[in-house]
Amino acid sequence: VARRELSRYPIEWLFPVLILVIVFTVYPFGYAIWSSLFRILLISPKRPFVGFKNYLDVVSSIYFQEALLNTLLFAAITAPLTVVIALGVARLLLTRFFGRGVVRAVVLLPWAMPAVVSGIVWVWIFHGRWGVLNAVLLKTGIISTYIEWLDHPVLAKFSVMVAHIWTQIPFASVLLMAALSIINKELYEAAEVDGAGVVRKFFSITLPQIKGMATIALIYELIMGLTAYDLTYAMTGGGPGGATTLLGYYVWAESFKMLQFGRGAALGVIMAAITLALILAIMRAVPGELSVEN
Amino acid sequence: MKRSLLMALGLLLLGTVVLCAAPVTLNFVVWSYNIATIQDNIAKFEAANPDIRVKLQDYPWNQYHDTMVLRLKGRTRTDVMYNGEDWLPEFAAAGWVASLEDFFPEVKKYKEKTAPYALADMTYKGKLYGLSYYADIITFQYNKVILKNNGLSVPKDWDQVLQECLKLKQGGMKYPFVYEYDATLPNFYSAFASQVYGRGGSLFDAQLNPLLNDPDGEAFKQLQWLQDAKVKYDIMAFENHETKVVPAMNTGQHVFTVLYNYNLAAMNKPPQALAGQFDIATMPGKAGACLGFAKFYCMTSQAAKDPVRRNAAWRFIEAFGGGDYKVAKRWAVEDGLGFAALPLMDDPDVKKAWASWIDMEKFKAQAKLARNDVNPEWKGMWSEFFRPLMAKAFVGGATVKEVMDQGAAKWNEYKELLEE
Repeated sequence: VARRELSRYPIEWLFPVLILVIVFTVYPFGYAIWSSLFRILLISPKRPFVGFKNYLDVVSSIYFQEALLNTLLFAAITAPLTVVIALGVARLLLTRFFGRGVVRAVVLLPWAMPAVVSGIVWVWIFHGRWGVLNAVLLKTGIISTYIEWLDHPVLAKFSVMVAHIWTQIPFASVLLMAALSIINKELYEAAEVDGAGVVRKFFSITLPQIKGMATIALIYELIMGLTAYDLTYAMTGGGPGGATTLLGYYVWAESFKMLQFGRGAALGVIMAAITLALILAIMRAVPGELSVEN
Repeated sequence: MKRSLLMALGLLLLGTVVLCAAPVTLNFVVWSYNIATIQDNIAKFEAANPDIRVKLQDYPWNQYHDTMVLRLKGRTRTDVMYNGEDWLPEFAAAGWVASLEDFFPEVKKYKEKTAPYALADMTYKGKLYGLSYYADIITFQYNKVILKNNGLSVPKDWDQVLQECLKLKQGGMKYPFVYEYDATLPNFYSAFASQVYGRGGSLFDAQLNPLLNDPDGEAFKQLQWLQDAKVKYDIMAFENHETKVVPAMNTGQHVFTVLYNYNLAAMNKPPQALAGQFDIATMPGKAGACLGFAKFYCMTSQAAKDPVRRNAAWRFIEAFGGGDYKVAKRWAVEDGLGFAALPLMDDPDVKKAWASWIDMEKFKAQAKLARNDVNPEWKGMWSEFFRPLMAKAFVGGATVKEVMDQGAAKWNEYKELLEE
């Protein structure tokens, strides 16, 4: 009966949610596209129509290429790594062992911490002259001289990625724990009877069963990676020399630092387009997993 | 019927009286620095002015500009705020802050008691917009004990700074120079400007044309010096905040730095390990000048529109930034913050407090040579664009020419947009 009611009055049933989507998603996005076509300098009363000039300006700006590459690299490395590590964490947290409750709470801790606080914590770890990591590596004899983790362009990229993954693992773990916990145990028992080992069971049972959730987690982490900037800025301020500058920062900077709202909006639209393209690419690569029927 | 009407009128009257007698609440917005002292100052003000309540809101320094843009553009109630010299023209042009002179001509009496560079920083289109919270200079600071122990003298120019750093490096000190390096901080630009002034150069001329991209100019040379110090000679360590430079200097691993002058107070006071070993030197370069600036209490246009809030705001601003300079004196004595109020220069309490961490005569001599920066309406916005580029040049990610050319182009772009 409920199914028939839904199909009989589809718009009426969707209306409340549609209103929310229109107010909080469609209107702001539409307004951003509209704004991106005007030269809006916040302290100037003039707002001339400039067409696609804002898009050309941001794409040809000195920061765009570097920030875009940094952002894509950042998202491409952190998103899959986060999902892989989170899968391991989720599996661990589903295993019964002494103190599991405490470990579960501790693993969730990074999720609850504001990004800026996390950034400060990671600066204490990676600092080149008084960081914990250098102290440990030096004491264990792995290094003979301190490494400037945050002052070297490549190492700084690595450092902010590690910190970002650390903050993202809890949520991805929760998603994957949910997926892992509903796998039918009989499948594993049957596989064991057939002589399947750990690796075979993982690839033949676990992975196919959690593929849908893993794809959602991957897409989510990709969006987090593409829009990240607060943690990196707390750690490096985008430096050294732009090595950890991400596009998300420039959407903010163009709008609220340089007060050029038109350009900020144009950059936001470009970022949304890139994100959408990547999501579509992932959904194509994993066909059927996210469709309603599945 | 008549009785009901009378009762209603009576209640209305009572309500009006209660509302009128209720204290006005001012929303006071600051960047985060020693909030406990600010709260204590507010408590004292409220005790002396029972008809005014003050609600304090603070934001981190490196997010302050953006947050205030959002607050002021979004018309979030704000009555009095900290403002900076580079943001005043921007906020005034946007109509977000109000000139004190327009409403309270008596503010002019403070002009003659204010250091010239600070007065210029608080003035826009000939009108005074604020009274100073603090005013300071950006100075060249060094460890006099290490310098002396290594047989080195106080450097007079940047070539000498380099030679001494190289000598110290040969002697085993990895990074003789430590630098506050964070492109998100407005002072990242200000410290650079101070060094350029020391050389006798300028980043812009009187007609607001950029000079920074002139390869023979002092700004160009100084950025090249900084890049060489980091990339070619590897004598410079970075810290991302002044609060980290202070303890870093106290490790004895560094000798030179350039910072807001008040940091010398923190550097030289126990329990810092090397307290007492630090001093200021005249900014290296033929001019020996430095950047002087003012941060100040400013009234918003929102407050100015309402006579009650406007008057309360003025009383608050005058109590904090004027009067007998009690608040400025407290900042100077307790935290070593510089001041715009000239009478405090010879205040015995200030002199006594400062004697424990700085040579007052050296400070006066450097302050005399201080210049305020060029601050047109687009300065703050341009600085946000230029600082990341400058940071890139520091580490060799871009050439000085690329950075200075881009900086000049952006400056001209803003200039055209706002002057057309």
